Amino acid sequence: MTEPTARPAIEPWEVFRQEKDGDPMRHAGSVLAPDAELAGHYARELFGRRQESVRLWVVRRADVLDLSDPDLLQPPLDRSFKKPGGYVMRDKLAAAREQSGGEKPKARPG
Amino acid sequence: MSVASLPTVALGHLLGSMADDEFVIGFSDSEWTGIAPLLEEDIAMSSLAQDEIGHAAALYGLLGELTGADPDALAYDRDPHEYRHARLLDHGRGDWAMTIARRYLYETSDATRLEALIGGSWPPLAQLCAKLVREERYHLMHIDAWFARLAGTGGEPRDRLLAALDELAPDAATVFTPLPGEPALIEAGILAAPMVDLEARWRAAIAPDLDALGLAMPPSPERPSRGRQDHGPAFAWLWDEFTMVRRSDPGATW
Repeated sequence: MTEPTARPAIEPWEVFRQEKDGDPMRHAGSVLAPDAELAGHYARELFGRRQESVRLWVVRRADVLDLSDPDLLQPPLDRSFKKPGGYVMRDKLAAAREQSGGEKPKARPG
Repeated sequence: MSVASLPTVALGHLLGSMADDEFVIGFSDSEWTGIAPLLEEDIAMSSLAQDEIGHAAALYGLLGELTGADPDALAYDRDPHEYRHARLLDHGRGDWAMTIARRYLYETSDATRLEALIGGSWPPLAQLCAKLVREERYHLMHIDAWFARLAGTGGEPRDRLLAALDELAPDAATVFTPLPGEPALIEAGILAAPMVDLEARWRAAIAPDLDALGLAMPPSPERPSRGRQDHGPAFAWLWDEFTMVRRSDPGATW
């Protein structure tokens, strides 16, 4: 019998995936794994085995900076004046474009 | 090369042995679906098993084009003694360490075999092998990770891996069993070297890994010429499983 060795703890890793070149990285889900190598393998199998991704980012959840403090994100006073509601950009943009004779800009290539 | 000069019979043995290897290891590994050590590994192993069945389908397909046989019939309608997979794959699913030991020996052997085929003179096989190598690259990464972890974790993991390697040792090199008509394949430029040479290449390739992990090199097979025959009860059981549905309604269209 060999002497027992300490075993690494299994921990969560967050996986982000890019569906095609130029797309943003979107959160895909998470995997449990004991280290980066197996986390990479499991991310590939869970979020890439059907050729649905061209790139994956795999990051240890413990390395993610978590901001959830309500004082920072959900302060109690009225913030409605910070929201753009009631201000319609579309008509102003159309008028400006007509004035300048410009075309509507195309979406950035994907 | 022209089709007329193809060593068709020997090529059939090569394709059949490769297809049966992939088919049998795929079905063995699929036995983990639902019961692998953790959910992520369950999905990974099931996906790897599907990959192997996919490789088998491609190889049976090629064999079918060569001989006119129906690929489904090749896969499912033979008796157990007609399969020509390596005896390495005849030890039953076993525990997780057995699966990892078997996959390590098989995947490294398969890599050596594929290397000897991708530059071959028969384009359909050379091109298929070039594709298989790209998928097997991930299989090797996955199995290297597990093999090193079990070997390097003292106590139960290493002890179980050693026991599995002991059980597999007599059949460890059977992927390299010489094929009937092998010289014709080499003469035609389809296969780069005799199986006995490929076995030596494989041993040279895995020696540094085994050395680093403090593991012994497996011995040569006891009956080298019968390394793809005499399959035994574990395969009889597996055959019964994987032909069960097909036999339940012979000739049905699924």
